[in-house]
Amino acid sequence: MRYRRSVIFDATVTLVFDGALVLSAYLLFAGHNQPGGGFVGGLVAAGAIALHYVAGGGDQVRSLLGVQPWTLLSIGLALAVGTAVVPVLFGANPLDQEAYQVELLVLGKAKATTALVFDAGVYLVVVGLMLMILEGLGLASDEPLDDGEVER
Amino acid sequence: MNLLLVVTAAFLCACGTYLVLSRHLSRVIIGIGLLGHGVNVLLVLSGGDGGRPAFVGGDGGPVADPLPQALVLTAIVITFGVIAFLLALAYRSWRVTGNDEVEDDVEDRRIAREAHQGEPEAST
Amino acid sequence: MLFGLIALHAAAGLVVLVGARRLGRWGFVVGGTAPLAAALVALASAGAVLDGRSTTQRAGWVPQLGLTLDLRLDAFALLMVALVSGIGTLVFAYAWHYFAGSAYAGRAAGLLTLFAGSMLGVVLADNLLVLYGFWELTSITSYLLIGLHDDDRDARDGALHALLVTGLGGLAMLGGFVLLGHAAGTLQLSALLADPPSGGVVPVALVLVLLGAFTKSAQYPFHSWLPRAMVAPTPISAYLHSAAMVKAGVYLVARFAPAFADVGPWRPLVVGVGLVTMVAGGLRALRPFDLKQLLAFGTISQLGFLVVLFGLGRPEATAAACALLLAHALFKAALFMVVGIVDHAAHTRDLRRLPLLGAGWRATRAVALVSAASMAAIPPLAGFVAKEKAYAALVHGDATDRAILAVLVVGSMLTVAYSARFAAALWRPDLLVVPSEPRTTLDAGPRHGILAPALVLASATALLGLWPATWSRLVDGAANSLDPAAHAHLELWHGFNATLALSAITLAGGALIFALRRPVSALQARLAPRRSGVDAYDASVRGVLRGAGWVTSVVQSGSLPVYAGIILATAALAPLLAMVSGAWWPGWPDAIGRAGQIPAAGMLVAGATAATVATRRFAAALLLGVVGYGMALLFVVQGAPDLALTQFAVETLSVVVFLLVLRRLPDRFERESQPLLGRAARLAVSALVGVWVAVGAIAFSGARTAAPVSEEMVARSLPEGYGENVVNVILVDIRGLDTMGEITVLVAAGIGIAALARAGRPPRPRPERRSIREHREEVGA
Repeated sequence: MRYRRSVIFDATVTLVFDGALVLSAYLLFAGHNQPGGGFVGGLVAAGAIALHYVAGGGDQVRSLLGVQPWTLLSIGLALAVGTAVVPVLFGANPLDQEAYQVELLVLGKAKATTALVFDAGVYLVVVGLMLMILEGLGLASDEPLDDGEVER
Repeated sequence: MNLLLVVTAAFLCACGTYLVLSRHLSRVIIGIGLLGHGVNVLLVLSGGDGGRPAFVGGDGGPVADPLPQALVLTAIVITFGVIAFLLALAYRSWRVTGNDEVEDDVEDRRIAREAHQGEPEAST
Repeated sequence: MLFGLIALHAAAGLVVLVGARRLGRWGFVVGGTAPLAAALVALASAGAVLDGRSTTQRAGWVPQLGLTLDLRLDAFALLMVALVSGIGTLVFAYAWHYFAGSAYAGRAAGLLTLFAGSMLGVVLADNLLVLYGFWELTSITSYLLIGLHDDDRDARDGALHALLVTGLGGLAMLGGFVLLGHAAGTLQLSALLADPPSGGVVPVALVLVLLGAFTKSAQYPFHSWLPRAMVAPTPISAYLHSAAMVKAGVYLVARFAPAFADVGPWRPLVVGVGLVTMVAGGLRALRPFDLKQLLAFGTISQLGFLVVLFGLGRPEATAAACALLLAHALFKAALFMVVGIVDHAAHTRDLRRLPLLGAGWRATRAVALVSAASMAAIPPLAGFVAKEKAYAALVHGDATDRAILAVLVVGSMLTVAYSARFAAALWRPDLLVVPSEPRTTLDAGPRHGILAPALVLASATALLGLWPATWSRLVDGAANSLDPAAHAHLELWHGFNATLALSAITLAGGALIFALRRPVSALQARLAPRRSGVDAYDASVRGVLRGAGWVTSVVQSGSLPVYAGIILATAALAPLLAMVSGAWWPGWPDAIGRAGQIPAAGMLVAGATAATVATRRFAAALLLGVVGYGMALLFVVQGAPDLALTQFAVETLSVVVFLLVLRRLPDRFERESQPLLGRAARLAVSALVGVWVAVGAIAFSGARTAAPVSEEMVARSLPEGYGENVVNVILVDIRGLDTMGEITVLVAAGIGIAALARAGRPPRPRPERRSIREHREEVGA
């Protein structure tokens, strides 16, 4: 199916897309101290991608990021699980308060570093889920079938 | 706790239940969405009558309970995932049957029919 | 050592089963080493055990639950091992000949070895749960053995019958064991019997245990599986249905009786069931033309006799029962073997077609005669010695004892009659029935060597009868280990006394019944109940199937709305009903919390109403979005900016996802087909859920007693979570594991969506990587 494309809509989307991605990054980083966080950030980014899909169809989204949705899902999950497991390796409880203290001393970075990693994992999972939805329900369902099932 | 929101939550849940009892998968999905909203209202209610956003520092009035908020945040995103999954199910149902109507399980109906007729047949 | 024996059985059995095809009947040689080893070990330790030094072995299994694998070899267990492994070895030798040329030989050998090991476990177990485990193993292996010829429908039905009856009995027994173990505070059998619990649940527990014993030992009214199990090849019948498995129930009664015979229902139940079984089984044994059926009913009758003697729980009766247990195993196994030999040669065991046995059959007929005479308790054979002991145990008792004795004598007369019937079948079959065609004569005797095991058994029968001293010590020790007061001194000749007179009466009565066999059988044919035990079993199986069908048709309607309706209505109704009583009403809450809630609530209610009554799919989805934005508004009012943001984003995305799917589906909702759940029922369930939510919200919020935990969370957010946004700190830190679970759910949902959407489509190639710049150039922005 080919949709008729509106140049004005396309241009607007492209502009909004950048802004939305910046906003989502801001929400992710600021989330620990101000409204925001991984969920909200991820959802805003997902909304931007969805908008792009609506404007340009599946091919644009597919080529835009150059990653498979499950790559994002698995990286996100790995980041989150990793933040939970690393403190255990240091002898603390999973996601333990003390663990952050230890991380802090070793890395010498700004505070709440590991929480941000965790939130980044959440962010990626949410974005990955949205990509999966667009991929599955949007793109795949437009493709032809190969197993003899009748497209209705 | 106030009556207005209690009644609102109850109404949302009742509407959601009515839709969930439908045979159309898309209605069921919308019903689940409504049920989710109703329960979220309840969760927020359990945190009291609200207040200043729960940030450290600042002043002016009581702080809203952050724990129910965290629960609701989780619930919102999960509901989104569930609804997306159910929609994929509806899509699949449409692919297979041409509709999103949930039909009765044929095998179950057969067992019921045989039980009423008497002798159960050995199914091979 | 004891563990080793059972392990040897298991290993040998499995080896034979795996190599069944290659080993063939040599499997009986490989598998037979296990019971032989057990018999030799029993023989070697007999001296010490009979002196009262029992061997105990323990292995911890789940010590926290009091589960230990305890095995114990006392004198009574020694007697049982002699039966299980001693006769077992002979049965293996017999089977080696019997299964010559049979395709089933290997499997039979493996299963028989496993069965022998399970049976050994039953008699050695000193822990109730271990006993139960081995008990069920005997049920399962016997199921496989009875159904050995699995292409034969009768064999499968008979095997299933045996499994269902003994399996159900086993379950009841397990319940009894658990109750007993709880009452006694120990699951160890020897400790339980040494210090038996009393009162409370003990009578119930005993009845349950007895159900297990009765079903296993084919007592009325559960007997009908045993004659049906005769479809099994004869070596299996000889082993399972004379010496081993059916004795498991008797074994249990024997173990429990001395400790529990005085508990309320025990004696009436056990003695009553045993007497009924003895007489009814004896009567039924007079009728069948099939020799194996005759033996099967005879076995049922003798098992009833044993159950009565052991069940009395009296020292003399216990001692007599131990003697009878051994004597019965000797003659019954030999008789089964003889039937198998005849069946093999004549290809029938039907009295009406049985040929006359000629010169080559002298030894076989002698074995049959000696064993049948022992069964009829004719002196000077082992059966006579044992039955004398049994009569002697009761003859000096009170009126009840005399009544029991009278029934036992009647039962024994029937035993004499069917023993005569069996002997006549091999010597003068025309005495019993004259067939229309004259009988052929079979001169060539049985295959070489197949008679040897039966000959050993018959010799033992004669030997033990002539020299009772040879087994007096074993019986004495066995009885003594059951009941310290029990002693047995076996003698062939007690002098002229009441016991001998009773024996004479028994023999005379039995002879009379046999002499009057024609009028007796005519009378029996007239009085016989129209419905047999098998009919009752079939009827109950049919009833269960029909009941299951009915329940399925009620519970499993196959309709999703009905299921959902039942679940939701139950979830609402159950707590509401529980709240009918009790002071839970905390009083009416305030009408309104904040003014801002009014527009939000209005938006929610209006959106929900419209979404519910919408007739177009996409309209309904958009209206759900309206409700979502109403939620966002409410969150802002309640002081939850994070939630408002999230809700707003989710709602926008939801609309996109709905759009993706709903573009395929019809615009309007069609009429629903076959509404199993009518509109009224849907409204009722919805109203119920609504009421429950409202009532529950008010009640639960009024029930709060502790201070909210979130106050502490707010206090610790910055110093320990390093964040000022408390909600975010809760999500990524305080309740971080919950969040991790949640994103796992999201990943699972994503995988599910991909699977559902991509089903039936070829895999897609990897996307081509392009930068945003290239992308924009293409778009031309």
